[in-house]
Amino acid sequence: MSDFAIRLSGVTKTFGKHTAVDGLDLEIPRGSIYGLLGPNGSGKSTSIRMIMGILHPDSGRVELFGEDPDRTRREKVGYLPEERGVYRKMKVLDLITFMGEIRGVAPSDGKQRARKWLDRLGLPEWADKKVEDLSKGMQQKIQFICTVIHDPELLILDEPFSGLDPINQDVLEEIVRDFHAEGRTILFSTHLMDQAERLCERVCLISRSRKVLDGGLRELKQAERRGVLAVGFEGPQEWMQGPDVQRIDGVGEDHHLILADDADPSAILNRALAAGVKLRRWELVEPRLHEIFVRHAGRDAAAVDGLPRDAQTAGAAGGAA
Amino acid sequence: MKSVVFAVIKREYLQRVRSKWFVAATIGAPLLFLALMLVPALLAGRSEQNERRIVVVDETGVLFEQAVERIGEAGFEASLSERNDAVELDSLRARVVRGEIGGVLILDQATIDRGAMTYVTEKQPSTIRSLGLRQAVVQSALAVRLGATDISEVRALLSGGDIEMDIVGEGSGFEDVEFLQAYIGAFFLYMSLLIYAIQVMRSVLEEKRDKVVEIVVSSMRPFDLMLGKILGVGAVGLTQLGIWIGSAILILMSGLPAMLASNPEAFDSEFIAQVMPGMSYAALLLTFFLCGYFLYSSLYAAVGAMCNTDEEAQQAQFPVILLLIIPITFVMMVIQEPRTTLSITLSWIPFFSPILMFARAVGGGAALWEVIGSVVVMSATVVGVAWVAGRIYKVGILMTGKRPTLPELVRWIREA
Repeated sequence: MSDFAIRLSGVTKTFGKHTAVDGLDLEIPRGSIYGLLGPNGSGKSTSIRMIMGILHPDSGRVELFGEDPDRTRREKVGYLPEERGVYRKMKVLDLITFMGEIRGVAPSDGKQRARKWLDRLGLPEWADKKVEDLSKGMQQKIQFICTVIHDPELLILDEPFSGLDPINQDVLEEIVRDFHAEGRTILFSTHLMDQAERLCERVCLISRSRKVLDGGLRELKQAERRGVLAVGFEGPQEWMQGPDVQRIDGVGEDHHLILADDADPSAILNRALAAGVKLRRWELVEPRLHEIFVRHAGRDAAAVDGLPRDAQTAGAAGGAA
Repeated sequence: MKSVVFAVIKREYLQRVRSKWFVAATIGAPLLFLALMLVPALLAGRSEQNERRIVVVDETGVLFEQAVERIGEAGFEASLSERNDAVELDSLRARVVRGEIGGVLILDQATIDRGAMTYVTEKQPSTIRSLGLRQAVVQSALAVRLGATDISEVRALLSGGDIEMDIVGEGSGFEDVEFLQAYIGAFFLYMSLLIYAIQVMRSVLEEKRDKVVEIVVSSMRPFDLMLGKILGVGAVGLTQLGIWIGSAILILMSGLPAMLASNPEAFDSEFIAQVMPGMSYAALLLTFFLCGYFLYSSLYAAVGAMCNTDEEAQQAQFPVILLLIIPITFVMMVIQEPRTTLSITLSWIPFFSPILMFARAVGGGAALWEVIGSVVVMSATVVGVAWVAGRIYKVGILMTGKRPTLPELVRWIREA
């Protein structure tokens, strides 16, 4: 048995002239929470669809649990696509049972599991209602249940938090943490770096169809650590600028100074004291994922491809996510 | 069969059969059909009650006595006018204008001499009506002139005789009953193929619109999903047809003997036995329905996969509907002339066979080997069409946005 739940080697996919995924290598260890990060249109969804066997790579190899992905192994995977959908005309219980049935759960068993999940998510009285009669938030919960009804080894969630109300974000996070605690593997894609930072153990950053870097979140941050100085102060601000500071990001009331490679923090401290500022905070910090991404992919890639989300430019990369 | 396909069949079948639409259509369609047949007849019957009442002015004095019964058989209620002078005639005309009676039939010596008569009426009666009236009077005039007291002896002669066709060889003509069976059957096939195949398209569209298709095809091959849909909707179709045919048989079995017993003369049991379709007819209907259904539902599944909205689908399904309309426009010709080169050629084209080969087969215009041959050709076509449709389906269900152009469609089929 492979140590990896998912392994991609040299996976490439093109749509016409557009290369959606370019030579992607990815190894997702069993039992990890893995974040696939990148701006919209960078190839996250295409990669996930190839893992799910919905699309087939032009070249390269996809392995699930160390073998070729086929239907049987797909029964071990719970998949929540970016485009959420349910059969609106079906009754809730029938829908969940059907979703289990197509992944190998016998209907009688599926009904029992469905009721258990409905109880857990506080929807037991809705079992015999039509899905279209439910509120949007409740429909989202039903979708989670559909994703996990066959008790999958591996959860693959494509932009799971987008469009969720805060309550359901918490519900989903809880499900993810429970699954992780039981030793299962979770892969999710997101363009929300903060969310990824909170949940992930390992991340892979993708930009413009290519992998930028991947690895354990903690190691990544430690490797990048010396470069970021967090300062909080009152007084003039000009002292922050200099050849040893690449960029200044405002973070709340504080500032993050992204340092040049050969910068000496003491020199900057001297400048601050000379300017007569009153320091509240002075520390070398772990860089935020966002900063790591920008440092490696380049600010342009991040800006053009739409990072963060509210700065999205429409139709980035032809919308072929 | 794969359990995933079975799960899809079950879902499609139960969702439909449990819906109010299914109940309404299953009960409603025969009622609507009955209403369409009965209501005009009832309405016509009511308005014609006065029209059917006529007064006969008989100047010959002998003709009415002979004619009254025959006029009655022709559907009129005849009474003799008491006098036949001009004043009486005027008052009768006035009654016609007021609508109290349908008309005044004036018979005189010319009627006995050469069958000429006058009918005073407000509006032209139907051809069949006036023909019936004329024949009734002319036959009576003949009877008067022949002086035959027992007219029943020559009744058969008077009514125009009969010719029995003894057809030798293969026989290519249609008798009335077979004509009717072929025509009704062909139309029934046309309607039911269209209705159920469109159901498949709707189901595909609904899945795309509800954005549920991606989850489903992550758990099964798209082809299995398409197959499950087609089989599920097909099972709904067979259920509905089964209910209709079953209840028709029940009604006939329980109702017909009662009707015959109460009024044996009203029903010609021999005729009924002839009109009642037999097992071979049912087998033909079922065979051609199934072949046609698989053919057209695959096409419609592909159309559904190409589109995103009902409006788009309305336009995109045009070529497929055309494939059904062409045979139905030729069906009359094929029934009447089942052995011409054109009829034979058309009926062998697999997309037309469900309607045209059926029509030829019902009348004996097609030999058994032709029926079997066309079923083989249709089955082979089903495999081919399902293969192409499956590829279009596979790409199409995950596509959003603009409908593909023809070159794009070809690329889908090649690359899928």
